[in-house]
Amino acid sequence: MSSLAKQIDTPVEENKVPDMYKDLQRRKKVILKNRLVLWAIIAALVTWAWTGTNFSIAFIYTGTANMAAFIFTDLLPPDFSAFGRYLQPALQTVYMSLVGMVISVIFSIFFGFMAAKNTSFHPAIAFTSRAIIAFLRAIPALIWGITLVVAFGLGPLAGTLALGLSGIGILGKAFADVLEEIDQGQVDAVKATGASWFQTMGQGVWPQFKTGFVAWSLYKMDLNIREAAVLGLIGAGGIGYTLQGNINLFQYQQASVGILMIFALILIVEYTTAKIRERLL
Amino acid sequence: MRPYIDKKNKMTQQIYLGLFIIFFIFSLLQVGILDERIFQAFSRVENLLKGMVPPAISEPIDVAGAAVESLQVAVMGTLWGVVFSIVLAMFAAKNVSPHISISYAVKAFAAFVRAVPALIWALLFIVAIGLGPTPGILALAVNSIGMLMKVYAEAIEEIDTGIIDALKATGASQFQVVMQGIIPSIMSIFISWSIFRFDINIRYAAVLGVVGAGGIGWELVRASRVMAYDEVLGITLVIFGMILLAELVTRFLKDRADMATLKAME
Repeated sequence: MSSLAKQIDTPVEENKVPDMYKDLQRRKKVILKNRLVLWAIIAALVTWAWTGTNFSIAFIYTGTANMAAFIFTDLLPPDFSAFGRYLQPALQTVYMSLVGMVISVIFSIFFGFMAAKNTSFHPAIAFTSRAIIAFLRAIPALIWGITLVVAFGLGPLAGTLALGLSGIGILGKAFADVLEEIDQGQVDAVKATGASWFQTMGQGVWPQFKTGFVAWSLYKMDLNIREAAVLGLIGAGGIGYTLQGNINLFQYQQASVGILMIFALILIVEYTTAKIRERLL
Repeated sequence: MRPYIDKKNKMTQQIYLGLFIIFFIFSLLQVGILDERIFQAFSRVENLLKGMVPPAISEPIDVAGAAVESLQVAVMGTLWGVVFSIVLAMFAAKNVSPHISISYAVKAFAAFVRAVPALIWALLFIVAIGLGPTPGILALAVNSIGMLMKVYAEAIEEIDTGIIDALKATGASQFQVVMQGIIPSIMSIFISWSIFRFDINIRYAAVLGVVGAGGIGWELVRASRVMAYDEVLGITLVIFGMILLAELVTRFLKDRADMATLKAME
């Protein structure tokens, strides 16, 4: 029992009140000192960043004003004749996200099972899998995209593989964490009946794993559609490529159709995944 | 009746599964993943790895400068994102907003800002205000506002109304209610989400250069355009290190804050 809990339990004696007040002051001082150190570190970081980027408060005003002027004079009204040109890339974005999600789910199940301490064959394998997953996660999808465009050429193939790879980083960790938290008793009970490894996984592990599996996979789909929308900026396929083409050619009213379509795509996919989640869970 | 319903439900599930598989195969064909290139994957990746190893950085000073700039952009983007989110969250939360319609308007704004990816914002800010770190900072700030405002407003909406009522009963002004009642109640949620957003912003800042908003992303694109594979790997490793470093710093700050509370509780 910590001393604080003891104090709460024992009734207050009159003559001890001044001591308690002193104690309170000491505690407040500890917190205050720590807060000061934290704020000092944050303030130092901000000053460093502020001077390094030559930022000035005026930029916020001019930035907002310029942005508003840009939106109202150049972007609006959207030129909906460009809709047809955006339709095919928009669909391609959806295909890329879906295939990328399935790729990452398949590999993440493997890596997740290997990385979770309770389902892995050996601690060394678990450690290696965790390391691979952490490496894949630390590098953003767009950077995987740049590297894969170099290896596989322009087009949706590179983008899809990039989504799959960065997805393993996210889903592998999520799956491993879900697996580590399952109730070992149920698994042992299935094992005690003489079930094989596959039967144990199917009857003992899967029912507990299912909820997390579905939720995280659908979350990955939400993420993918956002990533896929910008992967086109580096030529990895999808709607971003057409959008950047329009912006580079100063066709802003057509570009605004692209932005609206990205917005709509994200909303549609999020709505659909929410519905599926509701149905399955 | 029961077996019939079960059978029907099972059948619906199978139909959905079938539709999903058909759509997936269709997508596979559309994406062109069953291309000859995928069967050459091994030789292609082998070539790439041969070119990449050993990693190299031809202009270390430029790359280091770009990495520092990315970190600075992330710090500034998070700072302004947090500052504006706090202010806007006060208008977005139903229980403190001056009027319910303002709350809906601010929330709709946040939903739109959040749904447009950070990189697209960067692209637009570059067109609107020119190249350099400033469009990157503003793009990150705007995208952060979309997410942070939502979570801050939700945190404010969930606080105990008793606290606010008690303060109001003492005759506190709206500003005093915010400073004494709301901010202390949401402090821990506020800190953890801000730190989380900083981690996200670091990753975005690393890739903002792809569209020309400054930072290390630009160096990476430059290296990949001239097919300098060894430099691509070198810069990727720098980005990896940069993200790890930033995460270590945020973890240190978080632990330190937690430690102080624990120490004071003893």
